[in-house]
Amino acid sequence: MREPINLADFWALFGNSIVAALLAAVLCGYLGFFVVLRRLAFVSAALGQLAGLGVAFGFFLGSYFGLDPHAPTPIYLDPVVLALVMAGIVSAALGYVSRIERTTPESVVAFAYLASTATAIILLASPRIVQEAHEVGDLLFGNAVAIRREHFVELAAVTLAVLASHAFLFKDLLFVSFDREMAQAVGLPVAKLDLLLHVSVGISVAVATRAIGALPVFGFLVLPAGAALLASDSVRGVLALSIGGAILAAGAGFYLSFVQSWPTGPLMVACAAVYWPLAALYRIVRRS
Amino acid sequence: MERAEIGYKKPLLSPLDLSVRSGERLAVLGPNGGGKSALLKSLIGLLPLLSGRRVFPSGRIPRTGYVPQAHRVDSVYPLTSLQVVLQGRYGLIGLGRFPKGPDFRAAFAQLEKVGMAELAGAAFRSLSGGQRQRILLARALCGEPELLVLDEFTSDMDPVASAALLAEVAQLADLEKVSVILVTHEISSAAIYSNQVVMMDARRGVFEAGSTEQLLTAEQLSRLYGQTVSVERRGDRTVVFVESGRPR
Repeated sequence: MREPINLADFWALFGNSIVAALLAAVLCGYLGFFVVLRRLAFVSAALGQLAGLGVAFGFFLGSYFGLDPHAPTPIYLDPVVLALVMAGIVSAALGYVSRIERTTPESVVAFAYLASTATAIILLASPRIVQEAHEVGDLLFGNAVAIRREHFVELAAVTLAVLASHAFLFKDLLFVSFDREMAQAVGLPVAKLDLLLHVSVGISVAVATRAIGALPVFGFLVLPAGAALLASDSVRGVLALSIGGAILAAGAGFYLSFVQSWPTGPLMVACAAVYWPLAALYRIVRRS
Repeated sequence: MERAEIGYKKPLLSPLDLSVRSGERLAVLGPNGGGKSALLKSLIGLLPLLSGRRVFPSGRIPRTGYVPQAHRVDSVYPLTSLQVVLQGRYGLIGLGRFPKGPDFRAAFAQLEKVGMAELAGAAFRSLSGGQRQRILLARALCGEPELLVLDEFTSDMDPVASAALLAEVAQLADLEKVSVILVTHEISSAAIYSNQVVMMDARRGVFEAGSTEQLLTAEQLSRLYGQTVSVERRGDRTVVFVESGRPR
């Protein structure tokens, strides 16, 4: 039978992970506003898988150089750096690929998702990285309870950088998302703003996935923002509900995980999934 | 545009010259798929020229207001009418800066001009098609444009609302001394509200530019649309009749 754990011990063990999940909730809850409005929901899922592939590839390469996966590694072999590079490049490329003739955005996203998932699974089957397979598996399917200090620092730095840059450019990013042609006609640098948004999403997904897992990141990016758009008619309202909803889901997920000993990542997503039917119901009631 | 080749990858037409003078109202007519939108986008720099150049006598790109077709604007965004209109000033405000008092006053003034001041705080997505087009017109005017570009912007409106809005545009353009380029399928509207016309059908290599009186004739229109078109003048109005049946 499981030994009972008190709240103080739980915080001592998982305090960093809880703060990381809350940071990821703020970051993804905010970016979810653009992800949902720009119909990029499944792009974020594909980027999570790509980040997983980047980490698996980093371990795989490291095994050839005889590196200890838990010791400091050169920057060009660091799994997180590889995950960042992969997610950054692919997220920037996805913005351009959709303009290629006879290519639908959905098929490109599906290609990125399937190719990265399949390759990650094949890499994980290699006897060279048996020890790391569990860690990458956690990453792909979500395990928000074990976070290293460096991943926490990376997540905090990216959250700060994304929120600070977007605070200045929010109105311009929103204009480009809403009406690209008019934004271009009035002289805004639409290609650079698009690139900033795609790279912000790519890097955020890579770092947040490393910290709390792909499933919660995908959930935080899509579910609170989708529900907030149903419930509110103002930009501020949608942003507040989306970020607040993601924070609440992260906190509730951890609490239920503590109380019930259920897996944390899926619990956070399950909590966030409650919002959409609630928002739909609220809308129906308000209309009637 | 001088010796300009327009198109997305391949040129749609042989190199063309076209000028829009200050205060001029230019209507672009032609059948569907004839390259009107490509010409419009090339004129205002949304589509790079394949060859040739755009020349600006003032030495700089004119401030441009653009009103797209109604269905091209995403109605999911949780923006108020005022926020949409303010976007028209973002080119003036600059990247990374925030709208201030004069910007809000300018936006309200444009909302009043298009008769939508009462709906400033209303959700853009909750408005009717005609109301949205008025808001988009206010947005285009809010940036103090020297060139106003209207791409079939009344196509989703009923004829009465369409005529009323076009009349307002003509009045506003005269008042503010703005050049207007109007892409339309409504030949009568082109006859009333433009003083220059471009007729084009890239599939048949047709491109003609000239004054409204010179080009809006039964013969020219019949040739453009490949169908018998009759034109009658009734007072200051022009009425157009198109024969039924397959185009020639």
